[in-house]
Amino acid sequence: MGKVLELEKVYKSYKLGFIPKKKLVLKGISFSINEGEIFGYLGPNGAGKTTTIKCILNLIFPDSGKITIFGEDSLKPRAREKVGFLPENPYFYDYLTGREFLAFYADLLGLHGKAKEDKIGYFLKLVGMERAADLQLRKYSRGMLQRIGLAQALLNDPALVILDEPMGGLDPIGRKEFRDIIVNLKKEGKTVFLSSHILQDIEMICDRVAIILAGEIINQGYLGDLISEKVLYTEIIVAGLPPSEFSRLGESVTSSGDRVLLRVYEQEKVDQVISLVLQKKGKIVSLIPRTETLEDIFVSMVRNQ
Amino acid sequence: MKITTIALNTFKEAKRDRVLYLLFFFVAVCLIFSRFLALLTVGDRVKIIKDVGLASISLFGMLMAILMGTGLVYKEIDKKTIFTLLAKPIHRVEFLLGKYLGLVLTIFIMTVLMTAVFLLILFLHTFTIDWKILLAILYIFFELCLMTAVALLFSTFSSPILATLFSLAFYLIGHLSWSLEMLIKKVKAGAGRVVLQALYIVLPDLENFNFKTEVVHNLPIPTSLLGISFLYGVVYTAFLLLLAMLVFRRRDFI
Amino acid sequence: MEAKIEATVKNNGEKFLSHQRNLLVVFLIISLLLFSFLKIQTDKVVRKKVPGSSIIYLPSGKHLKYMTFGYSSLIADLIYLWAIQYYGTYEIADRFNYLEHIFSIIAELDPKYVDPYEVGALIAVYEAHDPELAFKILDMGLEKNPDMWIFPFQAGHIAQMNLKDFDLAREYYRKAMEIPGAPPITKRLFAHAAFKTTDYQTSWETWKEVYETAEEDWVKEIALNHLYRIKAAVDTEALTEAVKKFQERFGRLPADLNQLVRAGLIREVPTDLDGQEYLYDPQTGEVTPQRVWWKR
Repeated sequence: MGKVLELEKVYKSYKLGFIPKKKLVLKGISFSINEGEIFGYLGPNGAGKTTTIKCILNLIFPDSGKITIFGEDSLKPRAREKVGFLPENPYFYDYLTGREFLAFYADLLGLHGKAKEDKIGYFLKLVGMERAADLQLRKYSRGMLQRIGLAQALLNDPALVILDEPMGGLDPIGRKEFRDIIVNLKKEGKTVFLSSHILQDIEMICDRVAIILAGEIINQGYLGDLISEKVLYTEIIVAGLPPSEFSRLGESVTSSGDRVLLRVYEQEKVDQVISLVLQKKGKIVSLIPRTETLEDIFVSMVRNQ
Repeated sequence: MKITTIALNTFKEAKRDRVLYLLFFFVAVCLIFSRFLALLTVGDRVKIIKDVGLASISLFGMLMAILMGTGLVYKEIDKKTIFTLLAKPIHRVEFLLGKYLGLVLTIFIMTVLMTAVFLLILFLHTFTIDWKILLAILYIFFELCLMTAVALLFSTFSSPILATLFSLAFYLIGHLSWSLEMLIKKVKAGAGRVVLQALYIVLPDLENFNFKTEVVHNLPIPTSLLGISFLYGVVYTAFLLLLAMLVFRRRDFI
Repeated sequence: MEAKIEATVKNNGEKFLSHQRNLLVVFLIISLLLFSFLKIQTDKVVRKKVPGSSIIYLPSGKHLKYMTFGYSSLIADLIYLWAIQYYGTYEIADRFNYLEHIFSIIAELDPKYVDPYEVGALIAVYEAHDPELAFKILDMGLEKNPDMWIFPFQAGHIAQMNLKDFDLAREYYRKAMEIPGAPPITKRLFAHAAFKTTDYQTSWETWKEVYETAEEDWVKEIALNHLYRIKAAVDTEALTEAVKKFQERFGRLPADLNQLVRAGLIREVPTDLDGQEYLYDPQTGEVTPQRVWWKR
């Protein structure tokens, strides 16, 4: 199983300002993606995520370093034959209809005749844009543009799909649909490169991640390895008892009406709370153990830098 | 072919450009105006209509070529439509050539339209058709193809306003080649003269495509010049496109 | 081994790029050389030139003025400059066809611009051999610029030198004379022209004026010479006339001028301005002054 995408010590700098001052944006980026996985690329805004993607796609030329896609050097157009790309804030020729837009890209990819029609129909259905297919792109909402953009990225049946902040600006339903589509891509055997700063999405669907900060990869690996299963604390919501009852057992976070939200750190204390509530004839509304999330790791890493 | 796909798409986009409608309006005005201009003057009226008509087609065609050429590529980069395009397995030069051919197609259509209006006015005035006029317009079209390549070249590395100014300067230089020739005659032989001569040869001579005088005054057109001018146009355009490719292929799209 | 494969993969990409670039550069140089060669070929072809032929088709000055949006004097300058080049191009045989048109355009656009009137007139006279046009141009100049004595002055010159039309010359010199600022010679030219048109009265009076108002001696002397000449002309004419009458009456020429007095044909024998007698040749009947007027 070869590497689908591999970056090795990629450096990129820009010359900014009237008196050109060199600004180093990528400082030796190295990571790789395996076949069939969903890879998350996360970092705060301005860390260099989009720059990295543009280097991969040959829209920007790195100062040094090597990038290979399916073993081909990224500098050759051939490397992108099996790649689909959805940019951030996509913008397309607004006078075309959705269908015409897909037809244009299909032509570019060398699809003709029936195969072309079928593919266009299939992907319109997949991203849920069938009804708006004959509307001009200028009339599309942000979410609709993102969907049709995804359709365009999938047209040539790519083995590697690169998505740059694909779920920005989508409503919760839209985000769920996108997540489902991505997971389905993995089921079909495709590899997905997902760049985002929304940690919840990454956490839900990615297998491996790399975290980039100020042009450097500060951590990468399997999500399971990065996040321990350790329970940080347990949140218990109790009804029918005053907060004073729990003063020595745990921290009372809030109380509204007759409900009390407790945060209990030690495991034995949790059992004590449960028995106390049952004893005093109160009611346990909910009990949720809170584990370490990606956000926790991320925030602590950023703080350490 | 990928180039034709991009060319057709460019044509679709270009023909929506408002600039075209504006300029076409002005051309129509000029052509009709020349008819009235003829009434006011002393000279041969038909000559005036032909002269003004051909000059208008040349001038406005040039403006169309420049304004469209400089705007189109810049718009793609600015609006970021170019990202998804270049992310496909396509050479950058294919993209550039496709854009160029699309623009040329648009200019061709516009030239045909302008010619139709012009010939109509001429016919209404003289009740004959002078086929030599079509020859002059054909070579005006070749000049426009060259100017489109110029506009495209400048738009690969500068903003639309600068690119437009550079293109206009190129056009002026192209028509003032004879003044450089006169200057060379007055300069003493030496290093300066050699430099000027080299410049004279390399800078474009757009007068090679200008047969207005011959057609309007019924002078003979040297057939050898027709062939050489055409080749000159083709090779110079190729030169400009190659330059554009060299610049464009290494450009970072931030 | 792995490192080697890696290196070749990397080199492939870079090589591919530089191959592409080298190919483009090679084609670039080839096209440069090729179009340079073609350019030299185009220069060899001879094309008939009608420089600035379009300008012939300019509308008349009145209309052009409204089209120039306030830049009319600039346009006038440009057209004038072009006209100088145009009329200096001797290869264009029919370049004078629109001479009047062009210079009237310039006059309309910038009536106060003096040079084009003068130069236009000169071109008309010496190159187009059309003195009438020159007069037209200069008249226009004077009409638009009543304070420019140079225009009738030049016109008078043209009338005198080229046409030998002293009536016309005299008219122009008179006009020029009356404009303040005209040089003193204008008056003298006027007087001379009057003489040539045998208006001796006017001529005499004018030369007298010149004599009286002259500030330099040499001017006085010139005036005196001319006065001498006029008197001599008047006297010799009268005497010749009397001699003829004598011959008619008596069938022979008089022996001397006194005979004319005795015949009652003249009151007395006039003397020239210096008081000298006129010479009379009884054989031919010719009367001549003793001195040549300008050698006095």
